[in-house]
Amino acid sequence: MRLKLAFKEVQEIEERDDGALDLLKKRLVAVTVVVLFFFVVIILRLWFLQITNGVEYEKRAYGNRVRIRQLAPPRGHILDRFGREIVTNRPSFNVALLQEDSHDLSDVLERLAPILNMEVSELWEKVREASGTPRYLPILLKEDIDWKTLAYLENHNHEFSGIRTEVQPVRVYRYNDLAANVIGYLGSISKQELAEADSGVYSGGDIVGKRGLERLRESDLRGEKGHSYTEVDSKGFEQQMLKAEEPLPGREIRLTLDVDLQQIAESYMDAGEKSGAVVAMEVNTGRVLAAVSAPTIHIQDFIGGISSTKWKELLDNPKHPLINKVAQATYPPGSTYKMVTALAGLAKGVIDEDTVFYCPGRYSFGNRTYRCWKHSGHGPVDLEKAISQSCDVYFYQVAQRVGVDSLAEYAQKLGLGKPTGIEMEYEKAGLTPTKKWKLKNRKAKWQEGETLSVGIGQGFNITSPLQICLMTATIANGGKVYRPQLVEQVVDPEGNIVESFKPEITSELTGVDHYLEAIRKGMEEVVQGKRGTARSVAIDGLRIAGKTGTAQVVKLAQYKHLKEEDIPYKYRDHAWFTCFAPADNPEIAVTVLVEHGLHGGSGAGPIAKAVLKQYFSGRLNQIVQ
Amino acid sequence: MFRVDRRLFENFDMVLMILICLVCTMAFFNLYSASSPPKGYGAAPYIKQAYFFLICFALFVFVISFDYQELHFWNYPFYIFIIVLLILSYFVGDSAGGAQRWINMGFLKLQPSEPAKLMLVITLASYYSRKEINDGYSLKDLAMPIALTALPFVLILKQPDLGTALMLGIIFVSMTVFVKLKMSAYTILGSSGIALGVFAWERLLKPYQKQRIQTFLNPENDPMGHGYQILQSKIAVGSGGKFGKGYLEGTQGHLHFLPERHTDFAFSVWGEEWGFTGSLVFLGVYFFLLIWGLYVAMNAKDRFGVLLSFGVVMLIFWQAVINLFMIMGFLPVVGIPLPLVSYGGSSLITTMLGLAILMNVRMRRFHASMSEGGTRVA
Repeated sequence: MRLKLAFKEVQEIEERDDGALDLLKKRLVAVTVVVLFFFVVIILRLWFLQITNGVEYEKRAYGNRVRIRQLAPPRGHILDRFGREIVTNRPSFNVALLQEDSHDLSDVLERLAPILNMEVSELWEKVREASGTPRYLPILLKEDIDWKTLAYLENHNHEFSGIRTEVQPVRVYRYNDLAANVIGYLGSISKQELAEADSGVYSGGDIVGKRGLERLRESDLRGEKGHSYTEVDSKGFEQQMLKAEEPLPGREIRLTLDVDLQQIAESYMDAGEKSGAVVAMEVNTGRVLAAVSAPTIHIQDFIGGISSTKWKELLDNPKHPLINKVAQATYPPGSTYKMVTALAGLAKGVIDEDTVFYCPGRYSFGNRTYRCWKHSGHGPVDLEKAISQSCDVYFYQVAQRVGVDSLAEYAQKLGLGKPTGIEMEYEKAGLTPTKKWKLKNRKAKWQEGETLSVGIGQGFNITSPLQICLMTATIANGGKVYRPQLVEQVVDPEGNIVESFKPEITSELTGVDHYLEAIRKGMEEVVQGKRGTARSVAIDGLRIAGKTGTAQVVKLAQYKHLKEEDIPYKYRDHAWFTCFAPADNPEIAVTVLVEHGLHGGSGAGPIAKAVLKQYFSGRLNQIVQ
Repeated sequence: MFRVDRRLFENFDMVLMILICLVCTMAFFNLYSASSPPKGYGAAPYIKQAYFFLICFALFVFVISFDYQELHFWNYPFYIFIIVLLILSYFVGDSAGGAQRWINMGFLKLQPSEPAKLMLVITLASYYSRKEINDGYSLKDLAMPIALTALPFVLILKQPDLGTALMLGIIFVSMTVFVKLKMSAYTILGSSGIALGVFAWERLLKPYQKQRIQTFLNPENDPMGHGYQILQSKIAVGSGGKFGKGYLEGTQGHLHFLPERHTDFAFSVWGEEWGFTGSLVFLGVYFFLLIWGLYVAMNAKDRFGVLLSFGVVMLIFWQAVINLFMIMGFLPVVGIPLPLVSYGGSSLITTMLGLAILMNVRMRRFHASMSEGGTRVA
């Protein structure tokens, strides 16, 4: 009843004023307009988000959920000429942090540190170092974790948000430092290299060839990256693999090098802690069979980036291990140059093989006296004797007669004084001096006396060991200058041969067969003759032709009267020995340079002998049998 | 005991009913997509919500069965009941995010601040219709409604739940302005409102509330922190594009980038999966329901009916606007659900009760004296 009373009251009000109710209802029209206004605003906003910026937001949604990972391709293997693997790969598992997917980083790093056997501060350091990198790029925390750690992280990956394990192939060097200076090493791509490369090929942190063939053949070796597209949830945990593009392995490179020859040469250089170079080359093709630079770099030090102390050690080492002495260093050719002088003399008609000069142990020219290395003198000397006993006086006279420009001409024709074109970076051209050159570069007139020095391989003359080897090969093959080559074959992952060795003749001497024949005879006497300067190199059953050389480092009177062993190491002469074999049907040329090795025959000869022995090993045995 | 007028059935509003059913159906399917749970985490929200829909249907039938005039009376116990619950929640409530909001009733974790909104609508409608002043209420006349609003307002603010408290304020302002004030009352209320706002910013707001507002003003500053939710919601809606990614195909929602995706951000899921086209359809129906609610008010037979319908429409409308603005990056994250769409029993039941009142007013739009059949007897 109380209710009813209450309603009565209300109804009375209503009946009292119907006009007021209409007034109230009229306001509803305005309210409707307000509601519609907001509806329109919301629709416009939707239009802005979904139509105007829809594509942009779609990209962001995609970026939210899809993680694109680079799959590093295995780098191409490097083999020797017989297919023996010198450089291959193994998988290395790295731990990386993806900031984009990382939640509560400090907690994760704290738990991760003991598992990786690292200090938390080290991990933070890595994160800080990479502070400039975009959030979607992984930050490398540790390289090359062991299987146990890998298994643990894979099984517990949900406890470590943002932490990924990534696989990256790393180099395996089957023969340790074999041919390290030729093959070169890898390192992280530099900002400059990144900027210069075609876009899309590299990204920051990639490992690329830094030196040697690894660098020069980078485009063959690197292969193509793959990508995996993985869907992740908001916590960064992987949900499913959307798609994967497998990486394409790099091409395999088969070198012309022969592991056996390379090894034996290296072991000889190592054993004497020698500094220098050994080059062996096929005389009829230009294939480089061995290219040794000693001391070698230790290639293991470069895996994962060389430490700054080790790098400094390399730079400070007086024997310069970083320089590939095969082609990046030049030395006075010493007596190995006498073949050039001989050829120039013969070709210019200044001498023939029977021309005889008398050697009293010295030669006077102008107001100076030029000494022969044999102070007692060689007596009467013809070409064969001049070469085999390396008579300086003979060649002084030849040089004086042909003049320095002709010497330079024939030196050039034999491959000296210009880059050989081998696949080595920073190859030195060497120098074959001419009058013009001196005037231009030294602003001085050529002194005739200087021609005499040049004639015996001193003076302004400088050559690389590779050039001397090339010259030797050219003499051996009758005048063809081949481009020395290191690559036998490049094979792509499907097994197709992309590139294969073709001999390349860069220049050819013609009409000098007879002269070269005479020079070869002299060279054979050097090894096979009774009084040759390199008799110790002789091998039973093999005819070897060669030439010793001693390159003066300094010409200081104060050391003149010292015994050789008492001269400080750095002032000792460099020892050369260059040869080819067999003398009658040449196949291989071997050149050895030992820095501060004193005498060609004793300092450099044994190494060449070891290489030849190895090269002819199969055939020598047959002969012995 | 009721003897129900036959005309009540004839006046049952099929349009309103169909609109409600349409919105609820779309909302339910959306909730299914938004809340397919990680395995082993109990009943999925959409299953619970399905039960709530059934409860709501029962409540709907119950509410339309009596004359809305009786709310003049039932308003009092309802009001007191809600206030008691609000106080109770302060002592025995479950807390979430540092706020005491829920009273655990086993099946339903009741959030008394939700029905408080509807309670305020009924209270104010009842007051303004009984105390009818057509040339504008003076400040003195408003003392009672202000007090009636302030009590739950302060209790909810204390929880603290700023969003819902503000919602009460908005309902109060909407209804009070609708019944018209005197000019003096406008000025005084307006200026004191501004003063209160400034005071609140300085003294009353919790640090997290301030941060939310600051973050909103500059969301890109802090993409992984507080701006994250708004940003992810915009990405979700925006990436829907013209036609959406397809039902159950939304990546933002299903990969958990979208926060609160079955509650406050439920419509982001819809926007992502159905795109602009689908959103247009949904909002079209939704706003048509609101307009239809105003149409109901237009045709109500008395001042109480008008105010009730208007209040219910405003209750839904303002929550929807605030929620949608928040989702689209126009407002900070304030924790206002989208009525009928966001998961949550308290909100759903409150909204459905409101819509039932709307239907009630609609069904009784003709004066009893003009009816031919029976009369209502108590």
